[in-house]
Amino acid sequence: MNRSLLQWIMAGAALILVLAVPLLLSNYPYWLHVAIVGFFYAILASSWTLLAGHAGQFSFGHMAFMAIAAYTTGILGRDLGLPPVAGIIVGTLLSGFVGLIVGFLCLRLRRTYLALFTIAFSEILRLSLNSELDLTGGPNGLHLERLLETTSRVPYYYIMLGLLLASLAFMYWLARSRFGLFFRAIREDEEAAAAMGVHVVRYKIMVFVITSMIAGLAGAVEAHYIEFITPNILIIAQMSLVIAMAVIGGIESLVGAAIGAILVQFALEFLREIPLPEALMPWVVEMGPRLEAIGLGVGEHGILTNAWRLVVFGLVLMLTLRFARNGLIFPIIDRLFRQRARKETVAKRVQAGEVEP
Amino acid sequence: MEITGQYLMNLILNGLLIGFIYALMALGLTLIFSVLGVVSFAHGEFYMIGGYVLFFLLDTFTGLNPLIAVVLAGLATFVIGFIFERLFLRPMAKGEIERPGEYAILVTFGLAFFLQYIVLAIVGPYPKKAQRFFDLPTLDLGWISSTATTLRIFDIPLSAARLTAAALAVILLVIAIYFMYRTWTGRGLRATSQDKQAASVVGINPLNMSTLAFGLGTMLAGMSGAALVTVFSWVPAVGVPASSKSFVIIVLGGMGSLPGAMLGGLIIGLVESLGAGLLPDPNRALAYKDAFGLAIFALVLLIKPTGLFGREL
Amino acid sequence: MIELDVHDVYKNFGGIQALNGVSFGIRGNELIGLIGPNGAGKTTLTNVLDGVYKPNQGEVMLNGRRISGLPPYEVARRGLGRTFQVTRAFRRMTVLENMLVPAMALHPAARQKDFHDQAMEVLEFLTIEHLAGEYARSLSGGQQKLLELGRLLMLDPDIIILDEPFAGVHPKLMETIYEYIMTVHEQGKAFIIISHDMDSIFTLSKRLLVLNYGELIADGDPKVVKEDPVVIEAYLGEEEEEGPTVIPARRLAISEETGEGDDA
Repeated sequence: MNRSLLQWIMAGAALILVLAVPLLLSNYPYWLHVAIVGFFYAILASSWTLLAGHAGQFSFGHMAFMAIAAYTTGILGRDLGLPPVAGIIVGTLLSGFVGLIVGFLCLRLRRTYLALFTIAFSEILRLSLNSELDLTGGPNGLHLERLLETTSRVPYYYIMLGLLLASLAFMYWLARSRFGLFFRAIREDEEAAAAMGVHVVRYKIMVFVITSMIAGLAGAVEAHYIEFITPNILIIAQMSLVIAMAVIGGIESLVGAAIGAILVQFALEFLREIPLPEALMPWVVEMGPRLEAIGLGVGEHGILTNAWRLVVFGLVLMLTLRFARNGLIFPIIDRLFRQRARKETVAKRVQAGEVEP
Repeated sequence: MEITGQYLMNLILNGLLIGFIYALMALGLTLIFSVLGVVSFAHGEFYMIGGYVLFFLLDTFTGLNPLIAVVLAGLATFVIGFIFERLFLRPMAKGEIERPGEYAILVTFGLAFFLQYIVLAIVGPYPKKAQRFFDLPTLDLGWISSTATTLRIFDIPLSAARLTAAALAVILLVIAIYFMYRTWTGRGLRATSQDKQAASVVGINPLNMSTLAFGLGTMLAGMSGAALVTVFSWVPAVGVPASSKSFVIIVLGGMGSLPGAMLGGLIIGLVESLGAGLLPDPNRALAYKDAFGLAIFALVLLIKPTGLFGREL
Repeated sequence: MIELDVHDVYKNFGGIQALNGVSFGIRGNELIGLIGPNGAGKTTLTNVLDGVYKPNQGEVMLNGRRISGLPPYEVARRGLGRTFQVTRAFRRMTVLENMLVPAMALHPAARQKDFHDQAMEVLEFLTIEHLAGEYARSLSGGQQKLLELGRLLMLDPDIIILDEPFAGVHPKLMETIYEYIMTVHEQGKAFIIISHDMDSIFTLSKRLLVLNYGELIADGDPKVVKEDPVVIEAYLGEEEEEGPTVIPARRLAISEETGEGDDA
């Protein structure tokens, strides 16, 4: 009883804090922007976790679905004058439809082949977006109408946050429902699941459709926020970043992946410049050319990390996979909010001979 | 655009030349897959690094024999691959990793990300290209003629850089085949790929074979890159299409089939060249070049989820 | 009454004819043993019945409806459940969740808690109810086998196919499995049990089907089938290749003839 109350209080406090952020950061619109982008990635990372971590479908085409919706709403807005909200809806539906097709095509593909096929799909889409200049603007990108008639970032913060919370709630409900049971059975052993009556075809396609729609929705909304998209949103490195966020957060945990994404996003921003004491700055400036030779830079108050920040995350990803398969964030959540500690102890007690097997 | 026999020949020859290098790269990936059972999603990044290493070697040590530079580039990628395998892949074989299949995909994907960005950080985004290794002798025999940069057979131009790269690839392929089929180590690798337990029973250490296979595989990728950096413009992202091509080739040729990989390389080289050359819109054609192989790949996977010939995953 | 009809089923893979015109029927809650030498096609037959394979020729009817050609999940819903030779529990799900999967699959409108009590009852019957909250992967091999059997019951099938249920099982567990089979059989379900454990098969089954090289070479009362010369030959043929006691004797005989040995 006590523990449960404490958990609710903690969750409540976290929620209030998150809702109050814009008030705290009203003088720092840049950080609001970072938060908004963080929420965007959180939606992508958590939906990918549902697809890969829960249902076992290691698809690398997630960003492609996101891009399909973004480009759809952009193109329809430009050519048909469709207002953003309508464009977002159509884009999301189209993502879902393509997700249906891809899910169907992938039915017979097993893990590595699924990964390879979805990479191919994503790359073909990217190459097409780059080539069809008339339709998409190619590498020069596509401009989109803004979603709201306001220059403030605050409403976008709440919109993205709202989308994140709504999608997390939906996916959480899904995971706890019969569908989650089926997804995980399919992940564990597709043949055994089928022998147990689970309609594997229907549910594999379903998880593709749902997660691609969620990714599409996030992509379309984000596109109308940033007001500009290029085929670079689809590059494999972006998919890797989302995967890194999901793995670091916890590949089997929706909330873990979401928090992981937000933290990684903020960390990437914090790491842009490593602040050094003012006294050291002259030395840094002097070292300028040598720093630049290895890809660093001289900032106003420290050293610019440039691409090295992402190198760090690549390393963190690999190390997390090797040493912390459950992620870095999820174990923390688990200890605070669950009673899973019980899980392994009964088995241990059996081994110790205290309980009859 | 008129499609003459000569134009077609041009496409075919140039496609084949590149195909040899693809074959070399794919051979590396097949070797890794057949011994470790893992598709390395970072294969293209080793190709990319090989190219950069060669570029910087030739740039810094101007008198360096380019062939030695290629070997050094191969050694560099060998070492990186070796280290990665020992640290991140060997635990799989020792049973220390849960859900190894999933892990292998994710960790090599992570390696690709890591390598791409570390190179981007150090080298920067601006393209590099290495000078061709050798100038061709000037000669003119009517049907065949050459200048320093280009060989012309029946008026079909073939660049010296491309020819050298292809020749290099063929030599390396021959060495690789000899190694795999005639040397003790090579046979050990092949034995391990067919049956780890049986191989260990006759005294072959499968753990070491795995590390060797991975290192050799990445070495072949690196040397392919070292060969092609004289032909193509190099950026850190160049590994991504290379990875894709390697996947396409091994699925087409059959995962784990050495001859299949080599044949697949030639086929993809041809497909790309013909596809790009025969598509009516030249702008589109170039942009879609990489997509042809991918499209064929996607189709093959749908029709036969385990590739054209070769063992199942 | 339960009716299963297997009509003239053929199944081949590439050049290999795995099933060669197999026909038999089941009426009511029979307890059938399916035996045959290795490679005879027992698991293939199971896979055909279960929908994993589609027969090249012939058909399978369950309770009047055709099930051959249907996917496994449809066959499961129509009332045929099976286990696999290697236990295939859902490892990263709890024992209870394992039990709920088939229940949920069969009852689209139900909620998980509707089947909680039933699942616990079955687990209790199988003596593993205390493991309900444990992840299946932390169970011992024997416990996982019991879980599989419990899972099957949640499917409420008319016909249960057990593929090597006794393989590698210690005596105490064997007892539990026997009890399971007898109890469930009495409740009205039919069983097809594939096993190499002759003692168990002869104890349990009222009818014996013998497969050899994809053909059904015997079908009937175990006591009669046991003495059938065709059956004996099928098994003897195999024993000669596999029995360890036979070969050294042969080798000894040969070496005596050719005079090989230390003093040759």
